[in-house]
Amino acid sequence: MNRNLTQSIESWIAQGCRSIGQIQITPLPEGRYELRHTEDIARNDLTTYSEASDARALSFFDDSDVYRPLKTAPTLRHGWSLTLPDSTALRHALDYFYPAMTAIWLSHLKGELRLVPLRETLERQTGMYAVAKRLQDDEGQKLVGWHCVLEKCMKRTLWDFAPGQPLSQLAAEARTLPSGAGAPGFQEIPLICQEACNHLVPACRETVKKRERLASAEPGQPPQNTATT
Amino acid sequence: MLHKPNSALLLVGHGSTVNPDSSAPTFDHAEAILRMGIFKEVHCAFWKEEPSLRQVLHMVDSEEVYIVTNFISEGYFTRTVIPRELELDGEVTRRNGRTLKYCESVGNHPRMSELLLKRAAEVAPGVNPADTSLLIVGHGTNLNDNSAFAAKREVDRIRDLGIYGEVLNTYMEEAPLVSEWDTCTSRPNVVVVPFFIADGLHSYQDIPVLLGIEQDTGLAASQRDVFRQNPYRLRNKTLYYASAIGTEPLFAELILDQVTLFDLQHQADFSPETSTHNLSK
Repeated sequence: MNRNLTQSIESWIAQGCRSIGQIQITPLPEGRYELRHTEDIARNDLTTYSEASDARALSFFDDSDVYRPLKTAPTLRHGWSLTLPDSTALRHALDYFYPAMTAIWLSHLKGELRLVPLRETLERQTGMYAVAKRLQDDEGQKLVGWHCVLEKCMKRTLWDFAPGQPLSQLAAEARTLPSGAGAPGFQEIPLICQEACNHLVPACRETVKKRERLASAEPGQPPQNTATT
Repeated sequence: MLHKPNSALLLVGHGSTVNPDSSAPTFDHAEAILRMGIFKEVHCAFWKEEPSLRQVLHMVDSEEVYIVTNFISEGYFTRTVIPRELELDGEVTRRNGRTLKYCESVGNHPRMSELLLKRAAEVAPGVNPADTSLLIVGHGTNLNDNSAFAAKREVDRIRDLGIYGEVLNTYMEEAPLVSEWDTCTSRPNVVVVPFFIADGLHSYQDIPVLLGIEQDTGLAASQRDVFRQNPYRLRNKTLYYASAIGTEPLFAELILDQVTLFDLQHQADFSPETSTHNLSK
């Protein structure tokens, strides 16, 4: 294997890439970089930061100081600019803002990204999440259509529901890469979802539990099979 | 001195989709270790936060990856969930040109008792340990049997040292309950150290209510202006409440020790004569 993510990021920016998610990336003289919210491009009243680790606090809370457990939610806080001394610090900062996203894009470009269908993710769950294996197809498709829209998560959902079974309730824009992504001189590092996340799997669990609870409460219904599968 | 200029360290924590402080100690220890310059790269991954265990290996450039779980005990997560999600074959996994080395959990480190004592002494400076009851608080449900076991082990070790007048286990959800801290102790001073990785929901929000020093669970630690002030004069005793043990900066040393321990235990496996063998255990 031969990977150097820092060099890859440098190379993408040198070829014209200028953004990721809600962040504008500006190369500066002497190998430095500046990051800021894409909606803050014209502002000159930003609070300035200079350490890659500052990105951690900036990424954790939105404009209302509400915790952001999903970093690809379109809720990045405004009002800051982060100037970084080199591409190593840039990579580090981007890993806080959009964890793993530059790396997954590199894996995609190298043809090393395995897309995992939702069914496969659910099938390997154990413990309290094992119940999610009993998710029905229509329930799962609706859940994905509800949770994985770009208004809630900016990642493009590239996995299928099951092998040969595409996502039927999600708009095409949310399950395909932006046009031009990966072409020479691409402007934006796309955010990619290669497998259902730790927000969707618990939602699958809750859906199954709710259905089975309601079915158990209905008179005349046979008892539910609650064995862990 | 550990020196791994061609290797990556991956620290794995639990994280939370609700509490922003759950992952903080894992990130803090990773940043501290990165600054030491021992490894080529240092990454974190979480069960409940990002990067996830399914994403993180894409972030690693190095061919050799040491994986240390920042968990308070060995158990369901360290033995089942994390190996499954990282697709580990055992202590050593070779895949796609990488060697993944799965080290022991940080909570298993024999110096944990030393850190608990350090934290207890820091939170109650100038207080005579002989007049003090030290309570180690664990979660204490069937789901966390191993953490309860680890907490009992630490209490036994510290009690044997004879430093504190009394050393006891207490739990959030089973007897002896931490909410009964005043009646289960015999000394005038009581020091409470949470046996948790982070100042998350339990140690910062739930236990203070059980102790009676807060009326409601309130905001997360990072969202409060003022950290709690010790001591508390309560129920005819003097109470000192510490941060979770996992926030102790010396945890970084324990993490590095687990890497050293792994190398010591696998020296024979990685000698030139055996390096091409299947090393899974």
